[in-house]
Amino acid sequence: MSGHLTRRALAGGAALLATPRLARAQAWPSGPIRLVVPFAPGGSTDLTARLVAEGLGQRLGVPIIVENRPGAGATTGTQVVADAAPDGQTLVMSNIASHAISPALYPNLRYDPVTSFTHIAMVITNPSAWVVNKDSGIKNLADLVQAAKARPGGLDMATSGAGSSNHLMVVRFCELAGIEHTHVPFRGAGPAMVAVIAGQVTMMSDSLPSAASHIRAGTVRPIAMSSAERHPGFPDVPTFREQGFDLSSTSWFALSGPAGMAPAVVERLHREVMAVIATPTNQRRFAEMGGTPGDMTPAEFSAFVASEVARWAPVVRASGATVG
Amino acid sequence: METLLANLALGFSVAFSLENLTFALLGAFIGTAIGVLPGIGPVATISLLLPITFGMSPTTAIIMLAGIYYGAQYGGSTTAILLNLPGEVSSVVTVIEGYKMARNGRAGAALATAALGSFFAGSVATVVVAASGPLLTSIALSFGPADYFSLMFLGLIISAVLAQGSIVKGIGMVVLGVGLGLVGTDVQTGQQRFTFGVPELSDGVDFVAIAMGMFGIAEIILNLERPESRNVLTNKVGSLYLTREEFRRAVPSVLRGTLLGTVIGILPGGGASLSSFGSYMIERKVSKYRHLFGTGAIEGVAGPEAANNAAAQASFIPLLTLGIPANAVMALMVGALIIQGIQPGPRMVEAQPDLFWGLICSMWVGNLMLLIINLPMIGMWVKLLEVPYRHLYPAIMIFCAIGMYSINNNVFDVYLMVLFGLFGYLCSKVKLEGAPLLIGFVLGPMMEEHLRRAMLLSRGDVMVFVERPISASMLAISAIALLAMMLPNLRAGKEKAMAEGG
Repeated sequence: MSGHLTRRALAGGAALLATPRLARAQAWPSGPIRLVVPFAPGGSTDLTARLVAEGLGQRLGVPIIVENRPGAGATTGTQVVADAAPDGQTLVMSNIASHAISPALYPNLRYDPVTSFTHIAMVITNPSAWVVNKDSGIKNLADLVQAAKARPGGLDMATSGAGSSNHLMVVRFCELAGIEHTHVPFRGAGPAMVAVIAGQVTMMSDSLPSAASHIRAGTVRPIAMSSAERHPGFPDVPTFREQGFDLSSTSWFALSGPAGMAPAVVERLHREVMAVIATPTNQRRFAEMGGTPGDMTPAEFSAFVASEVARWAPVVRASGATVG
Repeated sequence: METLLANLALGFSVAFSLENLTFALLGAFIGTAIGVLPGIGPVATISLLLPITFGMSPTTAIIMLAGIYYGAQYGGSTTAILLNLPGEVSSVVTVIEGYKMARNGRAGAALATAALGSFFAGSVATVVVAASGPLLTSIALSFGPADYFSLMFLGLIISAVLAQGSIVKGIGMVVLGVGLGLVGTDVQTGQQRFTFGVPELSDGVDFVAIAMGMFGIAEIILNLERPESRNVLTNKVGSLYLTREEFRRAVPSVLRGTLLGTVIGILPGGGASLSSFGSYMIERKVSKYRHLFGTGAIEGVAGPEAANNAAAQASFIPLLTLGIPANAVMALMVGALIIQGIQPGPRMVEAQPDLFWGLICSMWVGNLMLLIINLPMIGMWVKLLEVPYRHLYPAIMIFCAIGMYSINNNVFDVYLMVLFGLFGYLCSKVKLEGAPLLIGFVLGPMMEEHLRRAMLLSRGDVMVFVERPISASMLAISAIALLAMMLPNLRAGKEKAMAEGG
């Protein structure tokens, strides 16, 4: 993007041509910016959006209105942004559900996760932690596989919901390990964690931000982390790869807009988002939540979304979860 | 005991700082204001105000948010009593007797009962939370899916009795409610059920759409149809406060409601709503004035209001000791804390004692603030009833529509609300009650979820429901209740009692 600007600055003869585009870039932002969160208030997508909105609003000098449009696996709110004008005034908090899993889950989706959007900036990524009841005697994935083989119907595995990235990880793992499992979905991570603490369900795949406090408090035992490398906040928890399973997955929260946004606006937004997540306070908040600040150019992020879509589609099919 | 006192002293020293008192008052005030606006709930308000709290100290922030939560709960009862508009699950039963009291000219007394009953229940629950939070947590943890199922089954069985007319109609409405509750994405498989390809239905029908439609909008249509009843409210405002007689009648109900609410409130998910339904049932069965139920019995306001406030307080226990939010408001509070860099959870008591105990004491302070704000305002609220219908009804409709829209920012929900308004009007024409439908709607899906989870975990063995002592005793009570309803001679006796209740 910066290359584009430089080229334009150098090409004096193109000044006339460039003027309208420049004017458009200067006119942006032309008022409050709508940031659509495709989930209900209080979840991790919502929290991330509000953190970004606070800092971004200050830097851009306009209010950022966070608008929750939950529903249909995050596709309802995402569709709204896909249909909006690409003037930079309407953005969406894109995430693994809206842009990687739901496209495979909802066959009648009207948007394409890659081409219907301008992907701007990765905000935060976080791995999943697999935790077990602390009296279960399971200390690692090998124990888990053994326990699963010993029980008819396999091991009980809790997740925050059918079709969530955590559910799909469980499906993929059991394929790799050649074991059966009984998937026990809950409405959200909270009730599922209670069931694991109470010992009603043996194991849970949970995203790190919601599992972190329980792991730190020792109420559940972590047995594996889904990141490619060990997580700096939890250096004692081995990854799946270290334990012999070729599995890694990170959940992500990012900023996207409708397709066809002006490159100058995209460049400015990307720069400001990077500045917002780089402040020491936000770095500390992200670390507390167990997340890693995003570090991708808009082009890299677009390619990443495409790779995520390709990667989750077969897993969704294997899980048997479909909608519509 | 000494540590408890020391902890409470620490808590009160935090809660009574000028800054925290101010924000507790501000929160309670904002909460009351949004609570009386139909449909604009605490979730929308707290999410709007969340960025403001970033600059506050975490304790102050959470105290203000908690104030909004209680204020909204109380404000919700105000509209339920005055306008037949339950904005929250817990105020559905307040509507039944409270609105009748208002129509009898006892709106002031009903509002005062709700305020005083809630304050008392809140005070007791605060002490219970402080003294035995961790112990109560272990009780909540001992409830497995089978136990939850049996508890809710019991709730559904007794809710059929809520219907004031025929049992058959009552059961019919419960079943219809359960059916409506099943609309949306199946939790277990992700399949869409009864959505007819409408994407807006994939997360189910919104509770507020049914509640405001069936009660509020339907009531407006009914009133417009009966011009002669328009003057009922305005002519008989009556004494604003409780008579000695009313006070005496309300006290035992408040005590029973408080006990029930504190016990059931600790169960994550559905505790608060179950407790107000349960309290209404108990009052209707054991109160000395049960024959007055259906005509505006003060017990039917005092018990459920106390129960739901006690439960609202007790629902902080899972949040504070486990870090698990019991509802959407709690989830937002967790969010506020996380943004402040505090992870709510088991370690919070040790790591942030001033926050933990400050919050507990501010619960009590918040309840006191509500009393201070609301008792003097009762006169004003009652005056609201004197607003001519031609001004009042359009205003209510507008606020309902705005409130409904603001929940999901979705116009579809507004249409749904109108649809349920028309349906509610038809129901009153054929004497079908709305309350059993809403109870079925709330409890049915939870019951299904726990049933299927229990069966998943037991690998299809139904014995799990009778092998667990908690579940077995709930089922036994349900069986007795069912038998009592079905045995013909007992049923005759019940119908006689119902006839007395009018």
